[in-house]
Amino acid sequence: MSKVPPSQEQPDDVDDQYRRASALDPSRPSEAVRRAVLAHAAQLVAQRATRDEGSMIKSTRRAVNPAWWRPAILGTLAAAALAGLVVAPRFLALRSLPATATPSAEGSVAAPTLVAQAPDTRTDERAASAPAAGPESTAKPRASTRSADMPTARARPKVNAPVRDGPAPVVAETASAAPRARGEAQSTDATGAGLEARQRRAPGNTSATTAITAVPRLGAAVTPTDAAVDPAAAFRRAAEMGDLSGLKALLEKQADIDSRDAVGRTALMLATLHGQSNAVAVLLAYGADPNAADADGTTPLQAAKAGDHPAIVAALQRYGAR
Amino acid sequence: MTDAGESDEALIGRYARGDAAAFVPLYRRHEMRVWRYLERNVGNRATADELMQEVWFAVARDAVRYEPTSRFTTWLFTIARNRMIDSIRTSRQQVSLETLGYEADLVVQQLTAEPNAGPLAAVVVRDQAAALTQALGQLPREQRDAFLLQIEGDLSVEEVATITQSSFETTKSRLRYARTKLRELLSEHA
Repeated sequence: MSKVPPSQEQPDDVDDQYRRASALDPSRPSEAVRRAVLAHAAQLVAQRATRDEGSMIKSTRRAVNPAWWRPAILGTLAAAALAGLVVAPRFLALRSLPATATPSAEGSVAAPTLVAQAPDTRTDERAASAPAAGPESTAKPRASTRSADMPTARARPKVNAPVRDGPAPVVAETASAAPRARGEAQSTDATGAGLEARQRRAPGNTSATTAITAVPRLGAAVTPTDAAVDPAAAFRRAAEMGDLSGLKALLEKQADIDSRDAVGRTALMLATLHGQSNAVAVLLAYGADPNAADADGTTPLQAAKAGDHPAIVAALQRYGAR
Repeated sequence: MTDAGESDEALIGRYARGDAAAFVPLYRRHEMRVWRYLERNVGNRATADELMQEVWFAVARDAVRYEPTSRFTTWLFTIARNRMIDSIRTSRQQVSLETLGYEADLVVQQLTAEPNAGPLAAVVVRDQAAALTQALGQLPREQRDAFLLQIEGDLSVEEVATITQSSFETTKSRLRYARTKLRELLSEHA
């Protein structure tokens, strides 16, 4: 745990030679490994969260049930005993004194037999059964509300867990259907200038408009031809449009996550400049370099602050952006 | 050793508590070190990639069990070394450590294919990298392992001894012999 430099022997010229040669060695682990590792790490966290929530629900049930069923059973028994005490003497009295029964008592006791005896009382029966059904019908929705609530309560952790756990790619994707739909619609006839113009016109896309105003060169480097031919250009285009499905597809095709355009902007930088917070979340979760500055030395964090994208600023900082 | 002022131990702790974002800087910080350790020990890039994935999967899986009684790098390189030994034992596609010189040819090809390097730079880089790879390949396995653990893991002699389950003195000797041998080999090349 100590942060004290390890107690090595004196710095050695061999060590220096090794480090120099290592720095010059371009061998690197494959992009696929990095992606697999980071995706797996995010997935594990989501799974753990779901499992924890599930075990919490179970343990809550265990704790609650014993306390609940005892008073319920005792209450039921007490109610039955009370009803028996109240109703039984009346039955006994009716059997022993049928002639002296009061009209009210007679009516109340005879009422159930009326239905069977008089066919033309069906309307009344329906009317009478209506209030009887009333409590049932009101009870049913209540029951159904409960039963509907239960699965919702159980399902809630599954839905919320990844969101709480950070920008896991899957969640970020589901949470951003609108940007994706917009991105897909735009990508159908993608032309560089046309896209930007549409983005400027798009209602509700004020953040992107702000970013474009702040950075006049945005999108200028990637031509439609590039996007069609060069997967890296297509990847950056998907990032700036917030096209999450496109991003994911290109990541699976081994697109270089930190590839740069002519002015040194990575996909993360472009997504930041356009205020595409979901695309930023996906890129960070897949291991995009949060500190990759453009040719002017502007970092994504600086761009996010300049473009007034607090959500992106927060996400970048969580991933170690400076 | 920190990207944003946060220690490895703090990051792995955050990850274990459910903050997926903490894993990324941790991985980035140690990616190349672990990979070089593996690649230069097994002498095969594909195997190194496989092992790399296994190592980090294990880190992610066992993060909740990590106890900050030792440095994160000690734990990380212990996992890396164990995976590597398992791989050797199960006789996966494994280039003989003594034939690392053969791999140097691949390095040479990659370096000459580097687009930004001019012809002269390519030659210099090629020579240095190839010489290093060849020299490492000529070290006895234990010495190479100890040297790579120390230099890539930034570990102390004590930590290397713990990871390799060797005594302090043995480890110290291995490191000394490794450096002496490397110095000889590299000076021959120069």
